[in-house]
Amino acid sequence: MTEFKKIEENLKTEATRLLKEGLVTVVLAYGKGFDENHPMPYAAKTIADVENIVFNEYCNYNMARYLVRYPQGTKIAIAVKAADSRAVIQLIQEEKVKRENLVILGIPVQGMKNPKTGEIIDSKTTCGMYNPVLYDLLLGEEVHGAKSASPYDVLAEYEKMDKEARWEFWKKEFDKCIRCYACRKACPMCYCDPCFIDQSKPKWADKAPQSPGNMMYHLTRFHHLAGRCIDCGECSRACPVDIPLYLFHKKVAKECEEMFNQAAGMSIEDKPVLVDFRVEDSDKILE
Amino acid sequence: MSFEPKILGIACNWCTYTGADLAGTTRLKYPQNLRVVRVMCSSRINPSFIFRAFQLGADGVLVGGCHPGDCHYNTGNLYARRRLATTKKILEFAGFEPGRLRVEWISASEGNKFAEVVAEFTAQIRNLGPQAKLKIQE
Amino acid sequence: MLKKTAIEKISQLAAVLMEKGTLLAPVKEVSGHNFAEINDPQKVDLSFYNTIMSPKGAFFPHKEDFVKYKIGKPLSEAEPAVLNLKPAFLFGVRPCDVKSFEIMDIHFDAAGIIDPYWRFRREATTIFGYAYDLNQPVDSADFYNTLGIYAADPEGSDIFMVKKDKELLLKAITKKGENLLSELAVLKDGSAADEKYFTEYVNKGKEYKTRFMTLDQEAIAKKLEDIFDNTDFWTKMSAACLSCGICTFVCPTCYCFDICDDTLFGKGTRRRVWDACMFTDFTLEASGHNPRTQVYQRLRQKISHKYSYHIRKYGVISCVGCGRCTRYCPVNIDIYSIVEAALKA
Repeated sequence: MTEFKKIEENLKTEATRLLKEGLVTVVLAYGKGFDENHPMPYAAKTIADVENIVFNEYCNYNMARYLVRYPQGTKIAIAVKAADSRAVIQLIQEEKVKRENLVILGIPVQGMKNPKTGEIIDSKTTCGMYNPVLYDLLLGEEVHGAKSASPYDVLAEYEKMDKEARWEFWKKEFDKCIRCYACRKACPMCYCDPCFIDQSKPKWADKAPQSPGNMMYHLTRFHHLAGRCIDCGECSRACPVDIPLYLFHKKVAKECEEMFNQAAGMSIEDKPVLVDFRVEDSDKILE
Repeated sequence: MSFEPKILGIACNWCTYTGADLAGTTRLKYPQNLRVVRVMCSSRINPSFIFRAFQLGADGVLVGGCHPGDCHYNTGNLYARRRLATTKKILEFAGFEPGRLRVEWISASEGNKFAEVVAEFTAQIRNLGPQAKLKIQE
Repeated sequence: MLKKTAIEKISQLAAVLMEKGTLLAPVKEVSGHNFAEINDPQKVDLSFYNTIMSPKGAFFPHKEDFVKYKIGKPLSEAEPAVLNLKPAFLFGVRPCDVKSFEIMDIHFDAAGIIDPYWRFRREATTIFGYAYDLNQPVDSADFYNTLGIYAADPEGSDIFMVKKDKELLLKAITKKGENLLSELAVLKDGSAADEKYFTEYVNKGKEYKTRFMTLDQEAIAKKLEDIFDNTDFWTKMSAACLSCGICTFVCPTCYCFDICDDTLFGKGTRRRVWDACMFTDFTLEASGHNPRTQVYQRLRQKISHKYSYHIRKYGVISCVGCGRCTRYCPVNIDIYSIVEAALKA
């Protein structure tokens, strides 16, 4: 695997080139934070900005989140890791960005860490892939032969659980929610304006951080991301009270994959599974 | 007091709702636990309707649409099938009884089927007992 | 008056306080410590750096029911919420957070606006301040020194606590604290050596350095006014901002709220719920117009409110430098760095 430092250099070189040649107006990458362990998502718009670009094991952010912030047609270069590239693909499928307006800088990487715990998060809370699915330029050598666990392995424990125990588990987790909405804001696929939870007509849920509203918010959000969640784990990483949202998203992704034979964000030719159908879909899935 | 389930029926205008009408005009008997809401198509059903129905105290939700291939809008129920299947999986993983949500394809001529499905589903919900997990406690 | 107890016997003190009233103290949760009402004295846990949520929730809860009513019934049948007026003890508050109560008093208990809920709770509560452990490294996000607060400032607390090896020294700072302390028979009297340790600890707290910059209130207030229209600056500062509500919810001095009427089946509750200026619908008007639709506008509002408007209106910065907003920001946006950059802009 290419060193983090080397990837950082490549990122800077490419960003400089792309901005200098006027191929893009903004480079979405990672930048210096208030200290080394706290890098930030960063938008470099001038060659002078490039100096601030960094890359290390704490650059977890899914930069695809920021794509929808720029007007359609903006030429954007974006640095993506494996899951992030799937988010870009998914956004292309949903026509939120156009392929021709993007320069995708792929980063094959292994061993990203959770800044709160220092723990390696590869396949536990994310999709477990190391190489970007779609890219124009690769900024390091592809990772091969690394032990790759199925992203759905972590689910076994929860699937085994008794139904009542699972209900208690999730109820307790959702009761912790303070409704800061960091999960939906960190999510690259959550771009609705307004979000259903902010609507007042109809009003789906109370604003107060308590059970009925929390339940409504989370269950509906899982549904809205069904077949679209690319398992980057940003929602649970952003959560200040550590609700394991990734588990639920993984489970829904797994079910969708089994029912519809298609994983989210793997090809720009696909359509999101819930805005698509097959005549031969079986009624068995409804049982 | 014995438990009388409250069941929300969401029926598509063209098939199931008309089927229900037929059940009525042919004077078929079926349990009175069902309260029907008419929608134009089963694909109009937002999954939040179902979550909200359970929150507001429904013990079961019965969704009725046209048979696949017979949709008035050609493909609406094919989308609905995928969507509602996902809703069931979500309810199941949350630890909720997925059996409280049922999707049936009932055509305008199937008054009999409508009455049978309602009877069967009501019995099933009666067995499951009152729904307390999602219901908002007053 | 100085008293002491062994830290492992802290649950005995907790049990006594629980008999006297409501005890709010840090408890360990999965993701970190938080203040909670104590039901089991064993749960009190002082092995924390600082809590995730600030202690403002003790006086200004995230959700507060005001009145329950029935639709179509006369007002006289509405039931206002009854305040729990038992004495309360807020145990283990860090000096920077203690300072925040003073700032919040401006909004809830001064300037002609008195919030009875805040005032009653504040009056009924004895605050046990707790110095940072000077042997632990300081968190890189903290910057309370910049706001003139030190790691062991007893000011604002009723009783101030300091850790001495395996003991906890408790010193009465106010009359209220002294009265309470004299009633607590579970505590032992502190010796002259303990007194000396306490004084030295408070002084040593000044050397426990967080991030620091010289901040002139007038200068920063003026500067932020001047760069209000500098869209480039604010766009740059907010490039990473997700516009979630974490920073405002964990902040000890953010006080915005929303009054909601939640009605169901003909019954309603009017309640106050925290709101956040970082939410899109915060400024959404009934007409549909929204004066702050962009992320940069919302971040600008937040920074300017704390470091400019608040100074102009009340003469103090509405920030205590506890570092929570930086620590819990999912994208590491740092208010300290933004203020620093603003001064140079």
